[in-house]
Amino acid sequence: MAEFLMYFTNGLVIGVINAISAIGVSLIVGIMRVINFAHGELYIFAGYFSYHLSLTFGLSPILAMPLSVFFIFLIGILMERLLIRPTYGDEMYSLIITFVLSIVLQNSALLIFGPYPNKPPALISGSTQIFGLFHYGNQRLLSFGISIGILLFVFYLIKKTWFGKSVRAISQDREMASLMGIDHWRINMISFGLGAALAGSAGVIIAPIFPVTPTGSSAISLTAFVVVVLGGMGSLKGCVVGGLILGILENLGAAYVSTMYRHIFAFIILILVLVFRPWGLFGQKT
Amino acid sequence: MGRIVGSVLLAVILSMTSWALAQDTIKIGVVGPRTGPAAATGKAFEEGIAIALDHINAKGGVLGKKLEVVFEDTGGVPEKAASAFEKLATRDKVPIVVGESHSSSALAEIEVANRYKVPFIICEAWHDDITKKNYRWVFRAGPVNSGVVDFYIAPFVKENGFKKVAIVRENSDWGAGIAERTEYNMKNFGLPFVTLKVERESKDFYTELTKLKGENPDIILAYIYGTGLHFFVAQANEVGLSPKSLILDGAGPPSLWDSFWKNVGKAGDLELFISSMHEKVHLTPTSRKFWEDYKKKFGKDPSDYKTRSIYNVVLIAADAINRAKSTNNEAIVEALEKTNLEVTTGIVKFGLKQGSYEYHQWMPPMLVVQWQDQKQVVVFPKEAATGELKRGR
Repeated sequence: MAEFLMYFTNGLVIGVINAISAIGVSLIVGIMRVINFAHGELYIFAGYFSYHLSLTFGLSPILAMPLSVFFIFLIGILMERLLIRPTYGDEMYSLIITFVLSIVLQNSALLIFGPYPNKPPALISGSTQIFGLFHYGNQRLLSFGISIGILLFVFYLIKKTWFGKSVRAISQDREMASLMGIDHWRINMISFGLGAALAGSAGVIIAPIFPVTPTGSSAISLTAFVVVVLGGMGSLKGCVVGGLILGILENLGAAYVSTMYRHIFAFIILILVLVFRPWGLFGQKT
Repeated sequence: MGRIVGSVLLAVILSMTSWALAQDTIKIGVVGPRTGPAAATGKAFEEGIAIALDHINAKGGVLGKKLEVVFEDTGGVPEKAASAFEKLATRDKVPIVVGESHSSSALAEIEVANRYKVPFIICEAWHDDITKKNYRWVFRAGPVNSGVVDFYIAPFVKENGFKKVAIVRENSDWGAGIAERTEYNMKNFGLPFVTLKVERESKDFYTELTKLKGENPDIILAYIYGTGLHFFVAQANEVGLSPKSLILDGAGPPSLWDSFWKNVGKAGDLELFISSMHEKVHLTPTSRKFWEDYKKKFGKDPSDYKTRSIYNVVLIAADAINRAKSTNNEAIVEALEKTNLEVTTGIVKFGLKQGSYEYHQWMPPMLVVQWQDQKQVVVFPKEAATGELKRGR
């Protein structure tokens, strides 16, 4: 029983981490109909920023983390303004541009940061015994908490604020929203920045547990895309549910079926969803 | 008209300079991972090559010419490794290739070496099949899975009286081979063991470690090469498995990389690893020379033993070309078969009897080292030991 709870808890934690990494992709897809292939690279850059800000420049990790996310937000805004904006209306172009950008960014990371995995300092060390049953790493518990905080913030932002309302309006009908006086250029730019910042926050939160490497970015993007397709393109709720399903399934599968094929379970589910419910668990059938 | 004469002149001058350059140097090829999970090995290789080239060129180079190296990245991926080797064979037309530290990559490369008939000396890919295939062009001056397990890991486990063994192995050719050999030995000893397969690129081992905890082993033989090992060691401590159960890194270098202590923190104490190098163990004068040259060039002690492995094979390659008196492939293979050269880990002589992995194989002596308060203590074999094995509580 203790073992099962451990597998389940770990699945839950990894699931929430999956969700926060995927929600940035989903946001951008939902609002702008742009698939950001450079998502994993933004995550990696944030991890490296946080590493260098705290270790090379001696900043406190508590300061280094939000600062790195802010940098990624700015990079996101720049990306939207320079590369994505000219492609609006043609999804194929933006797809190609972000794909090329991901290769460029991955190689620049290799050039700038070197090929080694780097791990920003953990905020907390050691582990806690949970319900007297099993030990669980403190940094993971902390990351879990922060991730839930960020998820709640994103939901609040999209569901309750004026900004969220305009974002949803644009994703429903861009022209009509513009006619109602919403500046869709600005909303797009900020949303893209926000999506990038979410990739960045996933990066800074997770890097102290799983160090970042330049070549690790494709795996991060892939997981994020699986979660988004699983949950339904553009659905925030879908991201959370998709992320959790993936995390829990992988851990239980690894525990009770085979540790060597832990990633296969996610893809089996993905294929099943694509066959029987191609619009995802919470997506809209078009 | 003047332009045509000019360009013809330019072409002649260019071809002459490239001819002159080609005459001044001999280029040999190196393959190894400079990116991917074992990128640090590429760095270790670069350092070892630099010292070897200084050493050889100070003594007059090879066939009276300066020795140079073309280092192709494999990324630790077999397909990339095969094309890297092919580039060296066809584009650079190197007379010999050395290096490699991933078995999966080496197994792909030896096929290319065999096809293009390019002599290839492997230093750190351990799978038995690499030399067991008995290819005429393939040599290995480095550890082989069966040797490492039969002479070091298995006797270490037996002599220290461990009661229950856990084998954790990555899904690679090296992982499968070394785990299989370990199981074979444990069966012979009658020691109970469990084997757990893990993904090479995996970052999260909580599930695997929880399973292991249920088995309650007193030694875990971790056959994971790359930063995955760091995650494994750190997380084993977080779930409360180690240091009660000791962990032995069956590859070695990951426990020696600069990032090791940063990634594992206190969990690294009492961890064991395989190595062929220790500050206090010098088997030959070349070993001392290497140590001093390294310190002079890089201002620190060498840590990754693969720096020395690549140094050795560059020396062996240069020696063979010199004795062959040409860069002809047949002549080089014949010279390699007659190698009798002192390197840092002993005197290299390749096995010549066909039919087993011992063909074209020479293995250096290895050590089992334990981290004790961030100091390396050799705990096995007894005659080389610099301290006692410390057990976990």
